[in-house]
Amino acid sequence: MRSIGMLLLLSAFSTQLMAKVTEYTLDNQMKVVVKEDHRAPVVVHQVWYRVGSNHENNGETGISHMLEHMMFKGSKNLKPGEFSKIVSRLGGEDNAFTSSDYTAYYQVVGKQHLERVMDMEAERMRHIVLTDEEFYKERDVVTEERRQRTEDKPTGKLWEQFNATAFMNSPARHPVIGWMSDILNYKTEDAREWYDRWYAPNNATLIVVGDVNPDEVHELAKKYYGKYKPKKIEAPRPQIEVEQEGERRITLKDKTNNPIIMMGFHAPTLVTAEDEATVREVYALEVLSSVLDGDSSSRLTKNLVRKSQVLASVGAGYDGADRLKTLFYFSASPSKGFEPADAENAIWQEIDKLKNELVSKEELERVLAQSEAQYIYHQDSTQAQAIVLGRLISVGLSADTLENWVDEIRKVTPEEIQQVAKKYFRKDRMTVGTLLPNTETETKKGSSSTHSGGVK
Amino acid sequence: MKKYILQTCVVIASLLMTLPALAGIDIQTWQTSKGAKVLFVESKQLPMLDIEVTFDAGSARDGDIWGLASMTSLMLGMTTSKYSEDQINEAFDAVGANIGRSAGRDNASISLRTLTREKIMNKTLPLFAELISDTTFDKAVFEREMKRLKIGLKQRELSPRSIGSDQKWTNLYGDHPYAHNSSGTLETVEQIDLEKIKAFYQKYYVASNATIAMVGSIDQARAKKIAESLTQNLPVGTKPEPIAKPKLQQAREITVEFDSTQTQYSLSQLGIERGHPDYVALYVGNHLFGGSGFGSRLMEEVREKRGLVYSVYSYFAPMKQTGIFTIGLSTKNASALEADKVVKDTLSAFLKDFSQQDFEAIKQNLLGGWPMRIDSNSKIIGYLSMIGFYGMPLDYLEWFPEQVERTTKEDVLKAWQKHLDPEKMLRVMVGKPA
Repeated sequence: MRSIGMLLLLSAFSTQLMAKVTEYTLDNQMKVVVKEDHRAPVVVHQVWYRVGSNHENNGETGISHMLEHMMFKGSKNLKPGEFSKIVSRLGGEDNAFTSSDYTAYYQVVGKQHLERVMDMEAERMRHIVLTDEEFYKERDVVTEERRQRTEDKPTGKLWEQFNATAFMNSPARHPVIGWMSDILNYKTEDAREWYDRWYAPNNATLIVVGDVNPDEVHELAKKYYGKYKPKKIEAPRPQIEVEQEGERRITLKDKTNNPIIMMGFHAPTLVTAEDEATVREVYALEVLSSVLDGDSSSRLTKNLVRKSQVLASVGAGYDGADRLKTLFYFSASPSKGFEPADAENAIWQEIDKLKNELVSKEELERVLAQSEAQYIYHQDSTQAQAIVLGRLISVGLSADTLENWVDEIRKVTPEEIQQVAKKYFRKDRMTVGTLLPNTETETKKGSSSTHSGGVK
Repeated sequence: MKKYILQTCVVIASLLMTLPALAGIDIQTWQTSKGAKVLFVESKQLPMLDIEVTFDAGSARDGDIWGLASMTSLMLGMTTSKYSEDQINEAFDAVGANIGRSAGRDNASISLRTLTREKIMNKTLPLFAELISDTTFDKAVFEREMKRLKIGLKQRELSPRSIGSDQKWTNLYGDHPYAHNSSGTLETVEQIDLEKIKAFYQKYYVASNATIAMVGSIDQARAKKIAESLTQNLPVGTKPEPIAKPKLQQAREITVEFDSTQTQYSLSQLGIERGHPDYVALYVGNHLFGGSGFGSRLMEEVREKRGLVYSVYSYFAPMKQTGIFTIGLSTKNASALEADKVVKDTLSAFLKDFSQQDFEAIKQNLLGGWPMRIDSNSKIIGYLSMIGFYGMPLDYLEWFPEQVERTTKEDVLKAWQKHLDPEKMLRVMVGKPA
């Protein structure tokens, strides 16, 4: 999913198609959101906890993700691994994911099995069993996960180091999976404390999408999740990111044949916006991001990959629904014969264009048409619908952000877009990360390829 | 031209008796007047339409010019005799329609996702037809895409995963057309030129070599019109010759030294072709062995018990001709040999026997999970293209769970023992295994 904005943008065009969303709050303050989708006898059941790497402290980064793994390792009535085995026997699929702002658990099952999975999910909200034996084995699994995702992937490493440079003191700098040395030093006790601190009904949201009756889901939720008392959740200290007052640059040398650059600019989100003016800026930035990189006609690809051909590939991203301050970022890889500096300049030319000229009416219309279509397309997947709702609510936005979003987004003017381009895309607020070939990769150039070279 | 329509709802209804949870998927099929096969499912819930047109024009048709099929597919409809690249992109983007292209070993396809509002379809459908039948292959676009391809191919040489995959296919298939990667190599793509692309297009992108799959909110009459318009300007052409059957290779162990923290590991062998009578038994067995994540033996032994990996899996990939069976994982270099031993022991044990209880559990997963495999338009169109291209029976979506239900443990053991020989596996490791 590129960004929430793309999905939410255009529901106004299709109100007759909007599936019904019903919201409840249990007595213990757990939120319950149900969206009906009767196309197939299937249901998606998700529980979202408001805890992720943005809640973590230095030295224990990735502990939310580690705990996510341990949630499958047994609870009062379920042996390690049994949760997934039972879901599998029901014909279902289950897994979990962790992000900077949340940790979410889900099952996709036939609708007749909703109560069964809810019963099990509720059990592990309060009663997981953590043993050293399971913990240290699973810690090894997480180190392998990190090697696979990051250590052996130069682009993964670049993103991690770039992000930790753009953010200096706020937890937004933490990699979700955690730094390797932090992972290697987790103790069972760390996961237990983290679980005790964050896992409670009042820090969770239940999302159910599928062939269900909302009131019946509500009754089940009361029965299984409603039985727990709320806990006092202590918010992490503010750790407000220091103001960036000058350009920051890092270089990473690793196994790559062609360079890659990332450029990032601090930007507000709907959650961080403290006044109405900033909220409007967020909507303008969302539209701006689509003008630059929404589809194959958007500016970056059209002008820099197809026309001037300075770049072999390019992308831009912005997420106006992040909980902490976010980055509006660009990533690009130069074409043969061009250097990282050329790539940077080419992107700056596009940024300057946004500052100096108003975007056209056609471009704005295209962004709206794309968003309308995306909104309908995403309803083809029950999981995608559940994830959109879960994300919004987990960062503290309301489920009806959807409707408000559309009204606001349609008011975005070319002038507002120019304004935010001028305000946020400034060299003194820029972080640049560059991935370059390391010495070893460079010396290999021109010699025999890796393929034939090392075969025993 | 003879047209025929095959309604399958009656067949489906009778099969559904034993599987009450299944929503019937009514696949309608016919041929266009130019001879393209069409499979269509009407799905009214969302105002959208998916179309995928698949040609027997994958990299198995490359000949000596590896990468030719893939480049042809990439450039298909990027420009037409009437419109430039930007005009085409803008026309689709202005109404939120998506175009996709993909090429693999067996086939190449182009797809459209569009809203079904009349005003929008009147723009997207005729243009989509032009992409397929009125494509021009522009020189400037070609040169640009070749440059981008070479950057990608160069980068591939530094990906342990890609190196491992190339080694696997090359060593399993020898001089067979499946042996090379669809994108080609830096050396072979040098031979690609516009004349060869045009010749490839003219030979393979013909109506008799096309399968059209459609799912969406249109009725059958409309679907027929659309299918007709997609192929009306294509020559009938001829179906290409079948691909030869690959020969079983001998056991081999290959290690490619690579400076990475993990070793990319695979253990593989030739498997079966799509439509093989043993497919269901092999598939059910694989679901238990390594195909269903936490429900499978490999995950239990390699990850859950020993913490050696984040992911480990196995699959049969049935193709037009004999496809592969492969087990794959990545683990820190120091654990590679231990993981290798655990994988081999797990395979040997599985080939001897497994518990009836586990077997029943995995069948329940497959049967209970079947409705989830067909619960969206994108999943359904995937099946339609597969059924159409590989000539599977039209009642495949009902036939398959039926067969699963009937499969016994003995069927699985017999099929696995017949098709897999642990003494003749190919092992590929990329990294610094120890």
